[in-house]
Amino acid sequence: MRERIADWRFRRRLAALGKSGQELLCAYAGARWPAPDLPLREAALLALDFELDGLARDAHVLQAGWLAFDTGGIALDGAMSLDIRSARRLDDGAVTVHGIGEERAREGQPLRQVLGPLVSALSGRVLVAHGAAIEVEVIERTTRACFGEALPVRAICTLELERRLHPNLVGSDAYRLAAVRARYNLPAYDQHDALSDALAAAELLLAQARRLPADVRLGSVLRG
Amino acid sequence: MASELSEIRSFLGDVSPFDRLDADCIAAIARRVTVRYFRAGDTILEAGSHNDQLFIVRSGSVELRLAGEELTMRLGKGGSFAFPSLLRGGEVRNTTTALEDTLVYCLPGEEFHRLRSECDAVRDYFNESETERIRSAVRDLRLKRPSTLQHATIDQLLVHKQPVSCEPGLSIADAATLMSERDVSTLAICEGGRLVGIFTDKDLRKRVVAARTDFDRPIREVMTAAPRTLPRHATAAEAMALMAAGGFRHIPVLGSAGELVAILSATDILAYLGDSAIDTGMLVAKAAGPQALVAAARQIPEGFARMDAGGFHAEHTMRFTSALGEAVHRRAAELAEAELGPPPVPYALLVFGSLARGEQLVGSDQDNGIVMDDRVDESGREYFAALGARISDLLDECGFVYCKGGIMAKNAEQRLTRSEWSERYGRWIANPDEDRILRATIYFDMRAVHGDAVMAQALHEDVVDKARGSGLFLSFLARDAQRSKVPLGFFRNLVLEKSEDGQKVFDAKAQAILPVIDIARTFALAEGLAAVGTIERLEVLAAAGRMARGDAESLKDAFLLVSELRIAHQAAQVRAGTAPDNAIAPAALSPLERDYLKDAFSVISGGLDSLKRNLAGGIA
Repeated sequence: MRERIADWRFRRRLAALGKSGQELLCAYAGARWPAPDLPLREAALLALDFELDGLARDAHVLQAGWLAFDTGGIALDGAMSLDIRSARRLDDGAVTVHGIGEERAREGQPLRQVLGPLVSALSGRVLVAHGAAIEVEVIERTTRACFGEALPVRAICTLELERRLHPNLVGSDAYRLAAVRARYNLPAYDQHDALSDALAAAELLLAQARRLPADVRLGSVLRG
Repeated sequence: MASELSEIRSFLGDVSPFDRLDADCIAAIARRVTVRYFRAGDTILEAGSHNDQLFIVRSGSVELRLAGEELTMRLGKGGSFAFPSLLRGGEVRNTTTALEDTLVYCLPGEEFHRLRSECDAVRDYFNESETERIRSAVRDLRLKRPSTLQHATIDQLLVHKQPVSCEPGLSIADAATLMSERDVSTLAICEGGRLVGIFTDKDLRKRVVAARTDFDRPIREVMTAAPRTLPRHATAAEAMALMAAGGFRHIPVLGSAGELVAILSATDILAYLGDSAIDTGMLVAKAAGPQALVAAARQIPEGFARMDAGGFHAEHTMRFTSALGEAVHRRAAELAEAELGPPPVPYALLVFGSLARGEQLVGSDQDNGIVMDDRVDESGREYFAALGARISDLLDECGFVYCKGGIMAKNAEQRLTRSEWSERYGRWIANPDEDRILRATIYFDMRAVHGDAVMAQALHEDVVDKARGSGLFLSFLARDAQRSKVPLGFFRNLVLEKSEDGQKVFDAKAQAILPVIDIARTFALAEGLAAVGTIERLEVLAAAGRMARGDAESLKDAFLLVSELRIAHQAAQVRAGTAPDNAIAPAALSPLERDYLKDAFSVISGGLDSLKRNLAGGIA
């Protein structure tokens, strides 16, 4: 029931988007979207990660990395990583974490130019991220700011999925990306590069999907 | 963009053969990769299917089984698989399953073929023939081995006393007398402390005697004036180059003020490099008593380490070391006889195992025994009991420590008459069981090092003859050889680290050398060949058409490759002052060396299979 309502709301938002008159958004609305009862293994997915300059609600987006995949494998030829322009004085703590300094941030592409290929890549796909709430929120916020319409997004959150697969682990650290990956014998990656993190989330979903029933449906793993 | 696919690029940049490609090429390959994940137990590729990708293990480990059955290989992080199927057009022969949860990178076949056609290193790496890879590996190791010659300065080579010199005005006769008195073959001619020429034995022959020069003429007239010299800090390699280029064997060495310091001879270089083995051999042979023998024998490890540093090939190092070991055994027996009086009947001191095969390294224990003439009586047996005890004790002091398994002349069961030995071998052969075979295999590598060689040889021939005729015995030997667990894939990622035995090092002897010895011995006995050395056995087997030439060569190369690594390992231990062993930590090897070892294991594993197929029938 919950799934059907969620899908109904998603499609209503798509329909509204289709009336925006903007080519990019209309194409997104008109893409072939997988139905919730499609088996997960047939679903088209897009792992996405943003690097932000902080945790505030108005944090600037400094980098986006994404790659399309499905649970059968991750082809890297379409992997994309783009720096996004920001003229803001950057938070020192965040710079230390992701290493994108003010100079590099100034040389990135304008946000609007990055959103174009990202929206196209996401068309007809389900977003995958570890802690997907942030990615979904940023997409909605930035598309509203750039195009006047918040993009409806369907997402699988690998963190949420992990809480379902391993519900009783002690401490929040046990659900961090690196710890979860180690549990599935996935290699340790340097984090805080958008594309590496996107790849890390995509690989994690491959591993998690192998623990789910072979015929698990897409709707049952979408974030609520 | 700098960060793009950095994880995959840095990984590929660290694994063979991609580590030999430039950064742009690696970046391009990273883009062609597809990442896949398998759970432990999943089948990744099935024998009989069609494959068009190269697989590279990113994390976890996999196991390859020929036709899904016979274990071919285990691979961990960095290991590539499925390329043989790409080379042969797609047909998959090994079923590959994930041993652990495993992440793999798949590279399209066309990319694989493009890399092979564009890059020699990649082509060599994926060359179908393991034989060629091992051969080039042995060559590589030898080339890479840092040679002492490059580092040793002449100063280090000079163990000699002050050079013998005279003034140029001295007569030829007096100069020759001086050389004779001081026992030198080269005389330095100095004027006011400055070197002006040299005069050698050869000059005496050519320029004086053959030319019928008057002996009263001054030496100045027949010396080699203004000889080439080297400063004392020049390297041994420079000295050798100068000798080779000038065709001479003596070079005056000058100090910082230009004063004559020494005359370096080709022999000095030889002595520094190797031998030491020759010197040690002389000391052993001349040892006047037990203490002198022990002192001489204790030099063997150092000489061994020097041979390694000097770039000696494994087979030569083993041969030299065995020759010295043999000399120590012989001298120990001679000294024991000198203490106890002459033996009452003819006898021979036998050695078994590595010393018999001429494959000894350092740190070996003693494996020996005594064969006595059948006419020996009770008091004679008492003599040999004392003799055997004395020999074993002396050898133990010399560094050939007591054999834990009791295979030494000290023990009564190792002192038998010719007939008793023959019966004992007969029992092993006619009535083999697993336990007996385990204890008896080294007895089939036998050689006399002292005493009645004819009697010992007759015994050996008798044994070989008995063995050849016994299918049951041979099948036990063939099956026993299978006990070696060849660690396929071990080095890629310590795949065996998580295995039941918790092993973290590779036992070069047990896991690689012994299987080759077993293979060569079993086939040789089956053919009734009397050869004892492993390489000799393989060569004789190939020459007699009893083993495919290529297989014999591959086994030989694998044996030499592991021996090189083993010798380098033990030499480093000797230099560090620790007891030599065979436990090589994979971390101490370069990635390339690990790859080479993987090939060697593959060859050895093939040899064991062949042994099983040919001789273990009906039992294994």
